[in-house]
This record gives sequence, C-alpha cells and structure tokens, in this order.
Amino acid sequence: MFNRETWIEIAHTVTANPLRTALTGLSVGLGIFILVVMQGLGFGLQNGVQQDFGDEARNTVWVRTGTTTLPFRGRQPNRRVQMRNEDEQRITEQVIDAPAWSGRRMMWGSTVGYQSEQGNYPIVGVEPDFDDLELLPLMGGRWLHTDDLAKESKVCVVGENLLDELFKQDEAIGAFVTLNGITFRVVGHFSKNGRWGNSMVYIPLTTMQRVFNGSDEVDQMVLSTGELDLAGSTAMVEAVDGDLRLRHSVHPDDQRAVRVRDNQEEFAMFERIFTGIRLFIWIIGGFTLLAGAIGVANIMAIVVKERTVEIGVRKALGATSGSILSLIVIEAISLTLISGALGLIAGVATLNVVAPYAQHDYFANPEVNLRVTLTALVVLVVAGAISGLVPALRAVRIRPIEALRYE
Amino acid sequence: MLALRGIEKSYPLAGGTLPVLKGIDLNIDQGEMVAIMGSSGSGKSTLLNVLGLLDGFDEGSYTLGDVDMSGLSEKQGARYRSRFLGFVFQSFNLIAFKTALENVALPLFYQKVARRERQQRAMEMLGKMGMDDRADYLPSELSGGQKQRVAIARALITSPRVILADEPTGALDSTTSHEVMQVLREVNASGITVIIVTHEADIAAQCDRTIRLHDGVIIEDGRSGEVVEPTARGAST
Repeated sequence: MFNRETWIEIAHTVTANPLRTALTGLSVGLGIFILVVMQGLGFGLQNGVQQDFGDEARNTVWVRTGTTTLPFRGRQPNRRVQMRNEDEQRITEQVIDAPAWSGRRMMWGSTVGYQSEQGNYPIVGVEPDFDDLELLPLMGGRWLHTDDLAKESKVCVVGENLLDELFKQDEAIGAFVTLNGITFRVVGHFSKNGRWGNSMVYIPLTTMQRVFNGSDEVDQMVLSTGELDLAGSTAMVEAVDGDLRLRHSVHPDDQRAVRVRDNQEEFAMFERIFTGIRLFIWIIGGFTLLAGAIGVANIMAIVVKERTVEIGVRKALGATSGSILSLIVIEAISLTLISGALGLIAGVATLNVVAPYAQHDYFANPEVNLRVTLTALVVLVVAGAISGLVPALRAVRIRPIEALRYE
Repeated sequence: MLALRGIEKSYPLAGGTLPVLKGIDLNIDQGEMVAIMGSSGSGKSTLLNVLGLLDGFDEGSYTLGDVDMSGLSEKQGARYRSRFLGFVFQSFNLIAFKTALENVALPLFYQKVARRERQQRAMEMLGKMGMDDRADYLPSELSGGQKQRVAIARALITSPRVILADEPTGALDSTTSHEVMQVLREVNASGITVIIVTHEADIAAQCDRTIRLHDGVIIEDGRSGEVVEPTARGAST
C-alpha cells in the first residue's frame, strides 16, 4: 500500500493543480488551526480558574456574614450580622461534624515593620487547621500551634513577599517584627500562588482578638467537608446556613446577611461550565474541520472524475477495486494530514508565542495538551479517510468499460 | 483457447433493452491473429470487451483456456485480465504523468512483482519495441506511433496469452499504422493470440482470419481471402 508508486501518484495529484490543492489544504489547515487555538484558549481559561481555586482546598465551606437586606421577626434591614466565637463553637460541636475548621479575622492594610523597613500587608487571625484549608505550603519554620492560640502568643507566619520586601538578605525565622506597632516573632514562612497569598501575615486568632480588637468577633469560618461528596457538603451548607439564620434572626431569602459558599459545589459548577465550553469548542472546531473535509471530498471527487478513464485503464491492466480504493483514500488522507499537520504546527506555534503575553488572574498557560493533539490527529485521519472514501467508492463501482468510455 | 457459446448482451434503455450481441458462437485458437470488423453499432467493440472481461454478458458461456469466465467476481476478473490478457487501445490510454518505462511496468505492479524486476522487464520490453531510448519520456513527449509501441509493450509485459486491440491504428497515419501492425504480427508470430477490432479493410487483410459482425450477429468468418457463409446463429471455426 505505502510504496513508491503510491507516493509518486499522490505527489502528481497534489502538484497537478497547485492552486486547487493549496486552497483545499488551506481550508483543512485553517480548520485544525482554529480547533487547536480555541482548545488552547479554553485550556488557558480553565487553567486560570483552577489556579484561582488552587488557593483553597476544594473540600471546604466558607461562611461569611454581612448586612441584612430584608426585615425579619420585627427586625429592620441594614442590621450587621456578626459571627462570634460562640457561633463557631456551636456549629462545629453541635450542628455539623467537620474534620477541620478555622475562624478567620482580617485586618487589611496593616503596618508591618522590620528594623528600618516597613510596609502595608493584610494581617489575618486564624486557627491551627487553617494551613490545610487554605493550602499554604510552608517553606521554613513552623505553622501556628494549638498552644499559640491557647497562650495567645505573639507569633506570626509570613508570606514570601515579606521576605523579599522587608527581610531581604536577613533570616526571617526567629526575627521580630511589629504588626501595627506590636512586636511579634516570626516562626515560619510560606509560598503560594495567587494574587494576595504571599503578602499575608498569619497570627493566632485569639491573639488578634485580644491584641487588636478586644472582642470575640469572627469575620469568616472555614469548614472542611472531609470526604463528603457533593450531596454531603450541600447538606453541611444547609445545616450551617440554617443555624446562623436561626441564631441571628435572618430572613431565609436574605442572600447578603449570611453567605455560605461550598467550594466543592462551585468547582462542580465550573467543571460543568468548562465541559460546556469544551463541547462548544469541539462543535465549532468540528464544523470548521468538516468544512475542510468537505473541501477535500470535493477535490477528490473532481480528481476521480478527471481520472475516470485512467481508473478504467488500471482496471484493464489488472488493478483490483481495493488497490484503486486505497490509492484514492491514501491521497485524501495524505492531503488532509499534511495540511492539517501544518495547521496544527501553526496553532501550537501561535499559542506558544501568545502564551507569555496572555497571563491573567483567570487565564493561564493556554497550552495544547497531548490528548487534544492526538485527538485532532485522529479526527484528521478519519476526516481524510471519509472525504476520500465517498469518491473512491464511486470510482471502484465504475465498470472498466464504462470508465474507458468516459468522456 | 477462447470459446464463446450463445453469448447474448443487451444494454438497458428507457422503456426496454437494446440487444447488441445476439447469440455469438465463436472459437479462437491459440496463436491466431483475428480481425473483427463491422459497421458502427454492429457490436464488434462489445464483443471485444466481453472477450477482454471488461464487460459482462447476459446469456451464454465464455471459456478462456480451460476456465469458465461466467459469473466471475470483480476481483477474479481483474486477476484473469492480469494473467491472460493484454489490451491495446485506439487512444493509447497511457497514464500521462508516468514515463514510458513506468507505464510499461504498471501491470507488473498489480501482479506484485518487485520494483527492481518490474523495471528490468519493462526496459527489456521497451527494447523489443525499439523504444528503450525513450524509457524516461512522458507520453506527451512521444509521437502517436511511439505511444502505441509503448502501449503494446505494456500489453505484453505480463506475457499474456491474448492481446486485444481496439482500433490500434485508428489514431495513426498510414505509415505508422503499418509499423504498428508489423509489431502486432511479430507479437503474433511469437505464439500470442491477437484479436483486433478494426473498420479498416487493409488492417483486417493483414490478419489470418476476419470475423464480420452485423447487428450483433456474425455474418462472415473466414481466413483472409475467403468468406464463409454464417450459420443461423453465427459462425465458428
């Protein structure tokens, strides 16, 4: 099948009408180019969102409170709902069975000083489980201990931005820093992806409440759903949401006063969205490719028509239908593969050139992975085979004498 | 060698069929050189196509060698054509983008002969036709007579037992026609059966035997110079 004669004949077909071949090849190449670029962009979008999700464990539920928007049980709207330590204690001990949790309290734009250096960074009060819930990779020292919270220790764990901007060449672990004028000892540092992650300064929640607020207020609660599936985590969300609304007299439809976000559900929602996007891209790419395949089928139909007498001669000389069929199908596959491969290379090259300039919070690494490339190649081969098969079948059905008489 | 018995062939037409061959009985022996003559529409080309397995027939039997050719599959037909038959066409039917050598070697490709052997045998055959110095020429670079020599070389390359030539001199001038007939006579002299469809009497005169068809029936069948009255359904040797 793949011998010199076959390739000579394919080369002849391709070069016999270069403009026609080039235009047909362009339609196939453009189809695969669009498919590859769209796939790459789709992956870029997905990577960006997943990277954003990468800041937090997927099996977490984030609980926030805000201001009421609806009157409820005699209470007017615009009332501030504030979570406190007792809410966290009640929820984790009586309402749900979470394997890990942490309260969270945040102070944006706090002044952090080290020797003569100082800068503004967010200070976050958390509990010991928080590093697992937020996925904080520790690069040196240690994370906050239960003892630190019990003793309300003035210790902190800092992001790597502070190492670069405040400590520079100095060793951070064991160093003393001032947080809004109060001295803390650095016990660890971490590095993570994300916009804000590396500028955070984490301190024990109890210390923050004692030193900076003098209260038992909590801004957020982060709860682990452990091994629960989506239905289990949804049940947990409903339980927490219901408890908070009951305790703080919040209308069931008030969306701003109590907000419980399930990462697992959000991730599942993004998965559904990206499945839709991928499907959409495949459909668009598929139709573009189909247009190219129709072009190839068209050119092969013309080639077969032009070579009808030749096919008759070949049959008279002993050619079987199989040999005629394979010749035409291989021609179609070759034409599709060569032009498709060029489109593929152009698509990958375009993504590689564009990628460094297209990094965004919700867009990253618009690469084409091996699976997509192989799928595109398989699609090409199938499209080429099908586009060659129809005219080839017509060719082999022609009886030798009909072909020889063809004008 | 070739035996036709009661061959009937018709073509479908709107509202019916058009009978083209009407009960042809014919024997052709090994080594004969036969001309088939007849006016346009007499069925001579159809008869040649049936003999060459290029077209089927509706009724009757056809034996080539000792093999019954009735009801052959497409693949079997291709195999017998490749093994027993060689074709020479009026319009040469050389493949335009192949050189003379490649055209001659093509039938061996379908017999799955190795490339080196194909080229060697094709070059030898071109040499016999006096065309070895044109081996690398494309058909467009050859004269009509040269093209037909290449076509004859292509027909002979598989060592067929029968050469079927449809108006082989129809597109040639008289001098070249004479040269081509000389080649075909030499081929016949080597023991190969040659069957020529022609409407030219001087071409038929160069054959051992002439069969004349009229309206799908053999009306004459005789050695050159003699005419034999046909039987009711045709004639045979």
